[in-house]
Amino acid sequence: MVETGQSPAAEAFERIQCQWCQSMNEKTAVACRACGAPLDIRNLVSDSGWREAPRIRDMTEIQFSSSTCQVEGEIVPVAEINLGAGDSVFFEHHVMLWKDEGVRLTVLQLSGGLKRAFAGMPFVISVATGPGRIAFSRDATGELIVLPLHPGMELDVREHAFLLSSHQISYSFVRIKGLANILFGGQGMYMDRFVTAGSPGVVILHGYGNVFERRLAAGESILLEPGAFLYKDSSVTMNVEIQKLGTGFFGGTAMSLARMTGPGRVGIQSMYVHHHTE
Amino acid sequence: MQPGPQQAGRANKCVWCGTVVEAGQASCPSCGAAMGVAEEESESGWVQLPARKDMAKLKLGNSSCQIEGVYVPVADMNLAAGDSVYFAHHVLLWKDPQVNISTMSLKGAWKRMFAGLPLIMTQATGPGHVAFSMDDPGEVIPVPLHPGQEIDVREHILLTATSNVAYDWFQTNIWFRTRNGKDTETHYPMGMYMDRFRAEQTPGLVLLHAGGNVFVRDLKPGQTMLVKPSALVFKSPTVQMQLHFEHPGLAFSMWAPWGNRYLWLRVHGPGRIGVQSVFRPVEGEQANVVQWSNATVTRW
Repeated sequence: MVETGQSPAAEAFERIQCQWCQSMNEKTAVACRACGAPLDIRNLVSDSGWREAPRIRDMTEIQFSSSTCQVEGEIVPVAEINLGAGDSVFFEHHVMLWKDEGVRLTVLQLSGGLKRAFAGMPFVISVATGPGRIAFSRDATGELIVLPLHPGMELDVREHAFLLSSHQISYSFVRIKGLANILFGGQGMYMDRFVTAGSPGVVILHGYGNVFERRLAAGESILLEPGAFLYKDSSVTMNVEIQKLGTGFFGGTAMSLARMTGPGRVGIQSMYVHHHTE
Repeated sequence: MQPGPQQAGRANKCVWCGTVVEAGQASCPSCGAAMGVAEEESESGWVQLPARKDMAKLKLGNSSCQIEGVYVPVADMNLAAGDSVYFAHHVLLWKDPQVNISTMSLKGAWKRMFAGLPLIMTQATGPGHVAFSMDDPGEVIPVPLHPGQEIDVREHILLTATSNVAYDWFQTNIWFRTRNGKDTETHYPMGMYMDRFRAEQTPGLVLLHAGGNVFVRDLKPGQTMLVKPSALVFKSPTVQMQLHFEHPGLAFSMWAPWGNRYLWLRVHGPGRIGVQSVFRPVEGEQANVVQWSNATVTRW
């Protein structure tokens, strides 16, 4: 007898791979459970190789350890976290929108944190511990970028761009030496670094405007407006290049661009503050 | 067989404002919410402002209002002869030449001047078109008010309201005082005053503009919630507000000057509240707080 179709066992093994975060999903899923990217929409890649970050559908749910995150709204999206007991997320305190009264708040002890300041306050990373709900959003139009991190991955993020991160991820920040005033217009001397230890975790960023990602091959490089830089794999190197622009008058002017060299991913945002060049 | 009145209605009740809408209508004539679209409620119970089709049309008596655009929506009013709306002058986008603009004096003007609020509301009278918008990406929230209904709105959120809606304001009584050396400063995280709109004998319409996305929930009696003060858009007059200080655990003693605290607005049900996803940090949150209005405290 010839059987038509697939056996139930084979069907159970059929999976869809998310093209944004490479997680495997059930065949019937419409959104990736690890990063929220729609699975039934084709990737939008420009001719030059930039991929548009997946537009997470309103009310999409993402799972990490025993917690869920629901993404709500499409103008200034809110990440609403339902923390499982014992699970926690960390964040910069100015992104909290609302919370259940029972969600415990603590602060992370950071070495060197006192040297950094945000809006006149010492730079403090706060931690919310479940069970309970807490919601986060930022101050301008943009997109939420969900980046699941697997063990061994290292991600560098523009300062103040991360909305939250799950507790499995260890956080540190690096000072961009020598680039201080050139790269980020005076105050942005730091870049947040997220590293996974033993277990996978998730980092959620907020990019202003639209976000695009490109995977650079080893040795391949691209020049970015520094204000547009959002995130990169730590394997991607960043250097500042000054471009002299002759105007025909006196000394002309100069602009600084960031040279990103692969291998790895680079993410950019389309809305940024243009820092004056000298 | 003739269809019964219930069948004719097809139970098309607008989930947002409760208006009964005739079958076949694409959007609710009172608030513009798209009909036949399931309400989007988050797991925690916040309901997203209903999807509104671009160019959705609202009816208000003989006048109408069309909401145009999705990033920074414009409220385009078509005023019938004699109908009028009021607004703060900076939200006017364009108008027909024949639409008459006049000023509407406000009672208690001296205290509004003191609070930095607009002293004079501007009034536009039909017939003709007049359009309003605000200067940041967000959503327009139409709030139809039935006779006797009222709503409290945080300052600078009003886009426009029909002239049959009474306008009043009250003190929020949400404040704290900080001291730096000899300097004392009083902060009002919600603003000093809140606007109150009330429909008297006839139904009216209030249009608000909020930054980012808007979420609404109904609090049960006694239910409480912590929200950022500048995220609150509106509330029912029955919802009570107070300050809430939260001190996280594991504090470094050397951070004492900052106080290592988070400042929240604690809202008590019963009633409806609306929040916007764009909000400003609370000014003075990090300073040395010496005095405050009625507040609760959590120390972890």
